Formats: sequence, C-alpha cells, structure tokens
Amino acid sequence: MATKLKEVDAVIVGLGWTGGILAKELAAAGLKVVALERGAMRSTDKDFALPNVRDELRYVVRHELMQNTARDTLTVRNNPSQEALPMRRLGSFLPGEVVGGSAVHWSGHTWRWTDMEFKVRSLYEERYGKNFIPEDMTIRDWGITYAELEPYYDRFEYTAAISGKAGNIQGQIQPGGNPFEAPRARDYPLPPLTPILAAEMFTEAAKNNGYHPFPRPSANASRAYTNPDGAKFGPCVYCGYCQRFGCEANAKGSPHIAVIPIAMRNPNFELRTDSWVTKVLKDSDGKRVTGVTYTNVLNGEEFEQPAGMVLLCAYAINNVHLMLLSGIGQPYDPVAQTGVIGKNYCYQTGAGATLFFEGRHFNPFMNAGGSNATIDDFNINWDFDRGPHGFVGGYNMSGGFNTVLPIGYRPVPRGTPQWGKEWKAATAKWYQTAMNIGASGSVMANRYNYYDLDPTYRNAFGQPLMRMTFDYKENEHKLGRHAAQNINAIAKSMNPTRLNEATARTDPWTVVPYQSTHNTGGTIMGTNPRDSAVNKYLQSWDCHNLFLIGANVFVHNASYNPTGPVGALAYWTAEAIKNRYVKNPAPLVPA
Amino acid sequence: MRRLRQGASWLLVAFVAAAASTARADGDPARGEQRFADCVACHSTERDVNGVGPTLYGVFERKAGELSDFRYSPALRRSGITWTAQALDNFIADPQKLVPANRMPYGGMPDADDRADLIAYLQKASK
Repeated sequence: MATKLKEVDAVIVGLGWTGGILAKELAAAGLKVVALERGAMRSTDKDFALPNVRDELRYVVRHELMQNTARDTLTVRNNPSQEALPMRRLGSFLPGEVVGGSAVHWSGHTWRWTDMEFKVRSLYEERYGKNFIPEDMTIRDWGITYAELEPYYDRFEYTAAISGKAGNIQGQIQPGGNPFEAPRARDYPLPPLTPILAAEMFTEAAKNNGYHPFPRPSANASRAYTNPDGAKFGPCVYCGYCQRFGCEANAKGSPHIAVIPIAMRNPNFELRTDSWVTKVLKDSDGKRVTGVTYTNVLNGEEFEQPAGMVLLCAYAINNVHLMLLSGIGQPYDPVAQTGVIGKNYCYQTGAGATLFFEGRHFNPFMNAGGSNATIDDFNINWDFDRGPHGFVGGYNMSGGFNTVLPIGYRPVPRGTPQWGKEWKAATAKWYQTAMNIGASGSVMANRYNYYDLDPTYRNAFGQPLMRMTFDYKENEHKLGRHAAQNINAIAKSMNPTRLNEATARTDPWTVVPYQSTHNTGGTIMGTNPRDSAVNKYLQSWDCHNLFLIGANVFVHNASYNPTGPVGALAYWTAEAIKNRYVKNPAPLVPA
Repeated sequence: MRRLRQGASWLLVAFVAAAASTARADGDPARGEQRFADCVACHSTERDVNGVGPTLYGVFERKAGELSDFRYSPALRRSGITWTAQALDNFIADPQKLVPANRMPYGGMPDADDRADLIAYLQKASK
C-alpha cells in the first residue's frame, strides 16, 4: 500500500536539463516543487574528480551513468510484422539515470532548430508539390516558430555556457560563423573552442570545395564563465573524455552545475533521488492529473505524491512510456491511424569516413566535446535543392574528434586483420595519423515508426515494457547515400594516404552499436488534439495540469542534436506556466 | 607601472624561456579577482569549504597536501612544496610541469602579469 504524501504545487519527474530548468524557475516563482529522480545524486567533487573519472570500462562499457536495463528497458523490432525482443544491454542510445540526466554525459553540441523544421511540411509542399512527400511520411508543421523561440534559445545558450561563433546577428552575416543559421539577437556567451588539427584540415578542405565551415557550438566553456544565475564554469582542458563522462573541470554545461544547485538552494524545492515514478494519476473524470505514484528503488517502498501540476521531464522515451502506462491520451494505432500517444517516433541516421595521413600527428587524446568544424550546406541551407535527390531533410557534416577513447578508438585502414600481430602493428602505425569526417542526418516521421506497450515483456515493477518499432525508410537511405558521396568527395580532395570511405546506412536498424542518444517524438506537439498530444506550450490536450517537456514533443528529428530546442522549450514552458497557467489554470490553447 | 610591465613583456617572455621566472610582487588584486574566474568553479576562499579543489583559505605558508578533509593526489602530497607566492607562481604557470601527475584539471596561466595579479588577489582573499 502506497504511503500518501502531502500535496505540493508541482511534481517534476526526472531531474536533467528540463527538470532542472523547470525546478529552478517554478521554485523561484514561489511554487512548492518536488523532483523525483530515478537515479542517484552525482556531483563533480564526489564523482567526477580525477583520476577516478578516467575509467573507460566503468563509464563506456558498463554505462555507469545510464539507464539500468535490469530494471527497465525496451523491446525493439523493425516493423509491425516482427516479434519485438528486449534490449538487455544498452547500445544504440544511452538514456541517463542520475541527477543531471543524459546531460551529465553529453558532449554539449547545442543547435538552434529553425523554421526549416517547424514548418517542414508547408515548406516542402510549397517548393516541390504535395507528391514530393511520400504518403507514409507523417511529417507536419509543429505549430511553433523560430521567432517565438529565439529569446529562449538565447536564455539556454547563456545558461549552459555555449562556446561558438555566431553566423547571423540580427540579419547581418558574420564571417567565420554559420551563414545559414537563423538570425540571433546576439553572439554566443563564449568564443569558439581552440580548433584541433583535424578540424582545421576539414575547414580548409570544405572551403576549397566551396562550402561554409564554422566551429561547432558546444557547451564546453572555452573560458571561465559565470552564467546569468551565478553558476560558475571553469575553462575546458580538452581532456578527451567528454561524451559518456562527467566533467572534472566544471567546464561542461550540465544541469548539475548550471541550474540544479540554484534550485537546491531554494527552500521551495525538494529533490528525492532513487525514486522511480510508475504512474501519473488522473481524477475521476480524467480531465486533470492528481499526482504520481513512485517507488524508492533502494528499499521498494511505494509512495503517492499528490500535486497540483505534473511535469514529465524524464528521458524522451520514458516520458512516452509513462503516458502509455498511465492511460492518458489515446494510444497510436499505425493500421487504423488513430490515436496520438506513441506516434512519430524518430531517430537519426549518418555516415562517416576515416582518413589516414602518414606523417601527421592528430593527437586524438586531446579534444573537447565540440572540437569539430561543421558545414550546414546540405542541412539548413534552403538553396540546396533536394528535388533531384528526392529526399526530405538534411545532414550536417563535420571533421574532428569527440572522445576518441584510448582503448576503444583503434583506427586502421580497411582490410587490416581484426586481431593478431598484423592488427597490433597497424593500430600502432595509424593511431596518430587518422581523422574523421562524419555526417548526422535527419529522420522524417513515418507511419510505421512508433511506440506502444509490449504485450509480453515486463519491467521490475511488473509493468509492460515500452515497445519500439523502427527502421530507416527509403527517404533516409537516399539522404545517407548523398551524405556518403559528399563526405568521400571532400575526403578525397584532402589526398589522404589511405581512406576508409563513408557508406550509407541502408541495413535494418539494430540496437548495436552505439548510434545516437537522440530519440524523438511519441507525444508530439501540434495545433489540435486530433493529431498531437500536447499544444505549443507542451501542455497535454487531455489533462491541462500535465506538461510533457523533452524531445518527445518533436514532430520529426532533424540533423542537429536535440538539446538546443529541448532547453529552449523548457524555458518557454516555464514562462507559460509562471505567467499564465498559475494565474488561470486552464488549457493555454483552446482545443 | 602597468604600462611599463606590458611594454617589457616581450623581454619577459624571452627571459622566462631561459630561466625559471621570479614571481612579481607588484600584482593588482582587483585585476587578480578577474583572473580568479579561472579557479572559482573548483576553489573557494572560505574556511573549510572544499569544492572539486581544496579551499584556498590560508593557502600561503601551508604545505601542499596538508588539509585533512581533502583528498589530494599522491603527487601533490609528496611534492614537499610550501605555498609561498613564488611556489604558487611556478605551479599556476604550468601545473603539470612543477608537479607531474597532480590532479588539478587546469592547463596553466602562461602570462606572468596575470599570475602576479592573481597571487596579489589571493593574498588578500585567502585571509
């Protein structure tokens, strides 16, 4: 029997970027806020100090900061005709499970998604006609605009200590920045990171090929920095251990540095760690939520936490799972094409080449999370004509390194034996001489890529696992082939000694190896409850005191990493709750 | 004084390359407070408040690795350093050069004027 606790104004499920931002903002506005985090407390001084944080086995192989699959995982399959099987070990994506969430172990790449995403259907239909978009591609306009989000992107970038070079300040193109970006009010809070040799060589080659390279904007502080809320960052030391590790130098823009300590100092806020939320509770007529139930994972004790408002701020997959487990909203059915919860699950695609230059020393052990140079000529550049290539979306291409690990990173030319004396000689010979060029590509929503509850497998709490049905479609294959071709063209123009050419990803998707922790959709945003789960303020159409904050509201997935709009939308939603919803608790958009 | 120091900075660089530098005693603590931004994410100057790094309260004339409530690297504990202005200047210039295998994740402050300012600030703030 669950112990019923005292009601609070708001309960936050999951304390990463979005939960941290909402906790800080709402507690400051005078609301009593409780956050329930399934993982443990983590801090730089106790957990990420040298030398213990430099542990590839612990953090990369054994996933210390990630979701424990023995407790809860997903079942996966490529299409509805298959039987889904449980993912017993993390691989393709790595949801975080500590205070700070996945943003403890992220690399910090922070982008502004623009109207090219938010108006995707209308833009492509206007330019290429309705028939250009395949019938089963369920993309839509998002119902939000870049202009609305611009101040919130700015807020997030200044909170998270983003280093970068603006390409467009109030309509003025800035040399050295990304000329295709949408206009921003001002530059990044910090100058770009010091480029590494691989990024410099890619920059040169991209320019020679007529493209527009720029340093990747990233939450790795290029200098010491104090954010507008007073959180202090040290300068990045280019340690080479960014992705999958906590930062030893307090230089990475992570919520456990940038926002959570500020919430913790506010007496209106309380954090409960090791607290696994099992269900969102509804009142008798189903129009409002009344709180959540959760289990203390250390001792199995169950609690009910009543709340005036519930904010789902867990990892994108877990937010959708909780909606399905709680029976809020109609589950999506791909055959009848009814319902919305679980719809438009998207992922990302990509291609990559490895270039070997005999005699060069790239020092791959030294880099920041964002030590890449990038081009957006095939991404948010609307002058790039997709017509002849027949795909919707785009890809950004970059050259450089990010966390190429001392044990795991063993670049050798194709054809080298995979073990033994020859392999040993080759890995010693080529380690210093290799650099990468990679592309990260968008994935458009498809009718048959979705989530629902698994009919067979259950988690440690006896609840059905989430079932993920996903595969890349012809649109993504075409995009991948285009990306591989262009990567190889740039790579060859650099005259490497040896080249492992990029190839498009056209095999069915699998849960191994690691691909990207950029899972989006499932409870998408929109302009009406018939085809979306939340309105533009991320407020549930079904229960107006329930907000779903995270990449689960994205209608499709872009080429860019999702954290920029995730952070901006968290601030945007916080404003709507503080300034409007608290004064008049009702739907913020009429259904 | 400041103008004079900056004017002579190229000379100083040449000198540093040839021999270990001598810490300047005429740093500007107000400028040093700005330099302390590099340190403040990990070090406080309050008594008993350790962060990722040990507190710098009372650092001058303390022995390296001396605080009982901070876990130092073996390298620092064994270094035998007493933190004078000169020792701090040498350390901050290139921490891994003075104490190889110490655990402070900081690349160093190469500019001697910046270090003089920082040390002048610390001499006030650490009391």
